[in-house]
Amino acid sequence: MSTLAIPASRLDLDRALFMVGAWALALVWLLPLAYAVWTAIHPAAFETRFEPFAPLTLENFVRAWNAAPFARYFVNTILLVTMILTAQLILCSLAAFAFARFEFPGKNTLFALVLVQLMVMPDILLVRNYATMGSLGLIDTILAIGLPYFASGFAIFLLRQTFKTVPRELDEAARVEGCSWPGLLWRVYVPLAKPTMLAFGLVSISHHWNNFIWPLIITSSVETRPLTVGLSIFATTDSGIEWSIITAATLITSAPLLIGFLLFQRQFVQSFMRAGIK
Amino acid sequence: MKHALKGFLASTTVLAAMSQAAWAVDLEFYFPVAVGGSAAETIEGLTEAYMAENPDVSIEAIYTGSYADTTTRAITASRGGNPPQLAILLSVDMFTMIDEDLVLPWDDFLTEEEMEDWVGGFYPAFMRNSQTGGQTWGIPFQRSTPVLYWNKEAFAAAGLDPETPPATWQEMVEFGEALTIRDDSGTVTQWGVRIPSSGFPSWLFTGLVASAGQDGLANDAGTEVYFDTPEVIGALEYLVALANEHEVMEPGILDWGATPRAFMDGNAAMVWTTTGNLTNIRTNAPFDFGVGMLPANERPGAPTGGGNFYLFQGSSDEQLAAAVDFVQWATAPEQAAEWSIATGYVAPRADTWESERMQAYAQEVPGALVAREQLAHAVPELSTFEGPRITQIINDAIAAAIVGDMTPAEAMADAQDAADAILAVYR
Repeated sequence: MSTLAIPASRLDLDRALFMVGAWALALVWLLPLAYAVWTAIHPAAFETRFEPFAPLTLENFVRAWNAAPFARYFVNTILLVTMILTAQLILCSLAAFAFARFEFPGKNTLFALVLVQLMVMPDILLVRNYATMGSLGLIDTILAIGLPYFASGFAIFLLRQTFKTVPRELDEAARVEGCSWPGLLWRVYVPLAKPTMLAFGLVSISHHWNNFIWPLIITSSVETRPLTVGLSIFATTDSGIEWSIITAATLITSAPLLIGFLLFQRQFVQSFMRAGIK
Repeated sequence: MKHALKGFLASTTVLAAMSQAAWAVDLEFYFPVAVGGSAAETIEGLTEAYMAENPDVSIEAIYTGSYADTTTRAITASRGGNPPQLAILLSVDMFTMIDEDLVLPWDDFLTEEEMEDWVGGFYPAFMRNSQTGGQTWGIPFQRSTPVLYWNKEAFAAAGLDPETPPATWQEMVEFGEALTIRDDSGTVTQWGVRIPSSGFPSWLFTGLVASAGQDGLANDAGTEVYFDTPEVIGALEYLVALANEHEVMEPGILDWGATPRAFMDGNAAMVWTTTGNLTNIRTNAPFDFGVGMLPANERPGAPTGGGNFYLFQGSSDEQLAAAVDFVQWATAPEQAAEWSIATGYVAPRADTWESERMQAYAQEVPGALVAREQLAHAVPELSTFEGPRITQIINDAIAAAIVGDMTPAEAMADAQDAADAILAVYR
């Protein structure tokens, strides 16, 4: 009951501080985006000058869109993130289920090995992964961009922890009813792990949407390359950066993610809170 | 699934066999893009034109990001057993590529006559970053050099002759003082000069070092650096004094990428940046501007920069012969002129400048000629073994002196020690 003892003025102060902090953080987050929007819809001359009535233009978007085959890159990126997420959810649910509910020899060692994956920077494996893709004959395919990420250690770990929180009673009740192992996973565990899966899906999609160096290295043609490779042609260090074009291109390529996040914001935040990822 | 995969593999094998029957030689060629405009399209256009003339050669020109990304990809693909035949990488990556044992010297694939006429036809300033140990490792292609751009309107407003850029360090300070404009509250609305210090600080700094009278920052073997000489320290003291003592340059670290914009917005009346910016500034500057050589001190001087063609190990003799032929074609006057005009890079051969197209271009854009004239005074860009680490060391030292953490002499002495420790094993 101590909260009742706090005088109202102090509560107000707390609240005010909280609001100021939240707004400050939100502004810091929003500023680059606001700059991007401002620069993208004005002619290049207003890149570093703020005039409220500067002429508006969509020309930057047109020029950016025409500078690279972005339509094809969009298709590739969407195919890529969908493929990776689907494969990750299937493979990692199965693995996590085994780690959470089965007993088998070497289980802890194997799980430790999975955790080791979390500590290895993917960039270290560029050459090894390239050689593997080469021996599989997969160089310059969308499958090759995704394959190294299918068995995600992070997803296995996350789902195993979630599956472990599922009450044994539910598990046993389903088994008494004659449910098979796959049925148990599908009907009991997966529905209960949905918030975790949604949260992981967001992390996975945004990571692979933005991934650059591995796709650049393993692909060579327009048919396989993702958006980030298209975006990189605007990083023109030798000739001075045209901010209006680069911001327009950035908005084009990140628009689906931004819009998706704004639309499903409530669900994302809730699932993050439930899954406990930050 | 398995069937589908098998079918897919089979069909690609058939395709590969078919393409081999149709094309005698397949080449892969990695290129970075570091300039705006349609550089990628120009390169693809060039390879297509070459294939039209040589139907037995098929060249796949693959855009591979920035210079750093291209180097990463070339090393990864070579290690992964799938090297390209050709790649354009930074000329200063020569020692790294030799050290990694991934590239071949061009000498082995050229006759004596070609060595003399073709390799000998490039400006010597560009070849200094392309040859070492008596062998040629790079063929200059997208090369640049820094120049001084000045705002003629601002010069006229400050009572200076709008047609004359500063010729010496002393003049740059004097002009800068006349050009720096403060409003009533003392805030600067126009700075005299801007030498950017992020991005490639060591590159522009080499320009100061060259004018101070030192022939670059490293020896030609890539095993020694000269960071703590009086010339280098004097150059750094001058750079620091521009902001602190003379107050003609904005203090702090000045961004490379924002420099053309600062010039075009009238924030700085003189800027140092690459010739690669010429097209951008010509199209977007709302005022008349001039392009001049970097001001001299002991002597005029500037570094060269940019990318070379490299030839990779692990290819068949036919592929290498075709690759050499393609590069000879691409650097011939007509193609080199097209490339230079489209991108703003300096054409690296005298015969290109003599071609009609280039003459017409030089007439239209006299600024383009300044870069070529400056080549007579050019020194090599910093290039050593462990290049990226050594460059980082001097960049950090320059930054430390600019922000005032260390005096120029201290910063450079530290940098020399750190670089010596790394390079000792190569001596």
